[in-house]
Amino acid sequence: MLKANVMAGVIALGLVLPAGAPAQDAAQLDEIRKQIQELKDSYNARIEALEKQLKAAEEAAAKAQSAATQAQTAASQAKQSAEAAQAPAAKQPASPSAFNPALSLILMGGYYNSDQDPRTRTVTGFLGSDEYGLPNRGFDLGETEIQISANIDHLFYGQATFSIEDGTISAEEAFFQTTGIGHGLTVKGGRYFSAIGYFNSVHNHAWDFQDPALVQKAFLGDNFGMDGVQVSWIAPLPTVYVEVGGEGGKPVEFPFPDSSYNSNGFQVGTAYAHLGGDIGESSSYRLGVWGLTSQNGVTDQLVPALDFTGFTNTLSGGSDNLWGLDFVYKWAPNGDPSYQNAKVVAEWMHRSLNGTLTYAPGLPQSQVGSLNASQSGWYIQGVYQFHPYWRVGLRYDQLNEGSYGLGPGLVGAPGLAPPDFTPRRWSVMTDWSPSEFSRFRLQFQQDKSQVGLTDNQVFLQYIFSLGTHGAHKF
Amino acid sequence: MRILLSLLNFTALLVWAAPAVSAINVFACEPEWGALATEIGGNRVSVYTATTALQDPHKIQARPSLIAHARVADLVVCSGAELEVGWMPVVIGQSGNDKIGVGKPGNLEATNYVQLKEVPRLLDRSMGDVHPRGNPHIQWGPQNIQLVADELAKRLGYIDPAGKTYYESRLASFSQRWEQATKHWEQEAASLKGVSVIEHHKELTYLFDWLGMPVVGALEPKPGVEPTSSHLSELVEQQRINPAKLIVITTQKNPEAAEWLSGHIKVKQIALPATVGGTPGAKDLFSMYDDAISRLLAAERS
Repeated sequence: MLKANVMAGVIALGLVLPAGAPAQDAAQLDEIRKQIQELKDSYNARIEALEKQLKAAEEAAAKAQSAATQAQTAASQAKQSAEAAQAPAAKQPASPSAFNPALSLILMGGYYNSDQDPRTRTVTGFLGSDEYGLPNRGFDLGETEIQISANIDHLFYGQATFSIEDGTISAEEAFFQTTGIGHGLTVKGGRYFSAIGYFNSVHNHAWDFQDPALVQKAFLGDNFGMDGVQVSWIAPLPTVYVEVGGEGGKPVEFPFPDSSYNSNGFQVGTAYAHLGGDIGESSSYRLGVWGLTSQNGVTDQLVPALDFTGFTNTLSGGSDNLWGLDFVYKWAPNGDPSYQNAKVVAEWMHRSLNGTLTYAPGLPQSQVGSLNASQSGWYIQGVYQFHPYWRVGLRYDQLNEGSYGLGPGLVGAPGLAPPDFTPRRWSVMTDWSPSEFSRFRLQFQQDKSQVGLTDNQVFLQYIFSLGTHGAHKF
Repeated sequence: MRILLSLLNFTALLVWAAPAVSAINVFACEPEWGALATEIGGNRVSVYTATTALQDPHKIQARPSLIAHARVADLVVCSGAELEVGWMPVVIGQSGNDKIGVGKPGNLEATNYVQLKEVPRLLDRSMGDVHPRGNPHIQWGPQNIQLVADELAKRLGYIDPAGKTYYESRLASFSQRWEQATKHWEQEAASLKGVSVIEHHKELTYLFDWLGMPVVGALEPKPGVEPTSSHLSELVEQQRINPAKLIVITTQKNPEAAEWLSGHIKVKQIALPATVGGTPGAKDLFSMYDDAISRLLAAERS
């Protein structure tokens, strides 16, 4: 537009100017031409400047546009992540039962077949016929277990395990545990299975065989438990597991089950230490050492371990002191147990039982004096899983009758001497577990723990768990 | 003089590169979170990873070494959604460490910060080992990694306020590189869209979803149940109607079932890393994705 006007002006000037002007007019013409050129230049410069400004303005507009788009994308992404963050929260149920504890039910039962009558079986020098606890022959429901657990609040956790068998329900464990002390300390209180040994704290549905090891049964029962308090501490050493602990309280039913123990102190106390860790990526282990001392506050406690003498004997006062070693080793290729894994467990225990023994009370042979019986036992078991669902296991039990230290009152008591016999037992089992929640087990056992006989036993067992996923203890 | 100077330089370098005197101890349940903790935490964290890429997190036991490491942890980072339900509650409960309980700042469950897929409508054990909150194997969704990284930086900054700006700058650097890498992977993997696959377990769901690869079957008849010969025969039948172009398992699994099926339906089978460390190429989160995508592309081309 501007150019056209300029051109028009120039043309008009050219038309207005007379043709064939004199020399003076030529200088004027030059002057006019120069002015026109200057006009042209100045207008060109202004046009260029305006074009530059326009270009800059367009670029700025484009930048603003892309910034806006980016902001939009960021906003929509933020919205998505906000939704995502909200979504899980929005799914939390708001009903009053939201805080319900973890609940699980264990169903167990099976079939038992044996050469010898389980009701009269003993472990000579260790367990009387009421104590061995073999199942009834034929089909038997066994035990049903209910476990309930939850965090109580920011400081405590609680757990109870009820065992229902033959019409009675009892609390195997019912305890609280601290979660808030820190510094490696945990305190447990109530009724619980003692942390001594390896299998002592393991519930029967998690055992590798249908029954406990002989020495476990003889010295601690299925699971030695107490009503009391447990304090344990883990050292702040990440590369190795070191734990020490102690317990004090009153034994639930073993070794001296008497509830009329009338004293303000602890009837039983334990101390234990564990060392554990990994060996490479495929193996891990735990080594334990422990001790237990338990007071017998009662007179005339029955001593079925001495039933082999042919007499019913009683113990008054005294104590039962045990100590033991336990070792567990686990292996899986690259540490993945899904297809293949192996586990070896061995335990050794020693018992020193003392007190005032009334030998053959009420009979002509009756004698009274101090007794200090020293006995021991051990077992070793190996379990190998060769398929996601199948395992095989082998176990050997042996007990050592030890020695009886007899005080003057008991010297010469007829038959009061450790039997010249070594109780032994071999067990082999295989189990099939199509999932973590179901298991069938077949076990053969050659039991030579009672003098004079061999008891061939067959167990068939099922174990099912419903409800909350159980814990994989080591 | 020169020696002294270079010694001083070296010492300065050591001091700068060494972890902070009181490094934050991070206990990562799985290698993907260990790798992420290293990306975000840098030299202010000391990371322990409880499992390797060759170990199925469903099957881990609460062994002593895990408890010992949890004992000194300032932060535990796990997937959550019941992936570690068999062992972490025992590890935490036995550790005597009051900082890492569920709900505490020292306990980060990655699945709480992402949208889970495959949330079951019916929850029953007859359906296999189903996770109530959804599929917990979230490490294969790049958006998930970013979301967890954001939360991890925040959490580390909360636990270690002195390092807050450091974690934020590491997050910024990570986020930028992750965004670029994600774009690059999406372009690279464009030819994988629509390539249908058979998986072993549902551990690669987020990967296939992201890359647009339809999953037409699984070797496991139900989650957590080992492949059975009858189910594998069904898959052979299914190949006629709804064919898969690839069988994709992870190096964590026994390849027998995949190899059998591959032979019977003449479809290539490959193994991807389940997570960081699953293959020699999967050294960190970036190379884990690189390795998986390049293996998929190589298989798809051949």
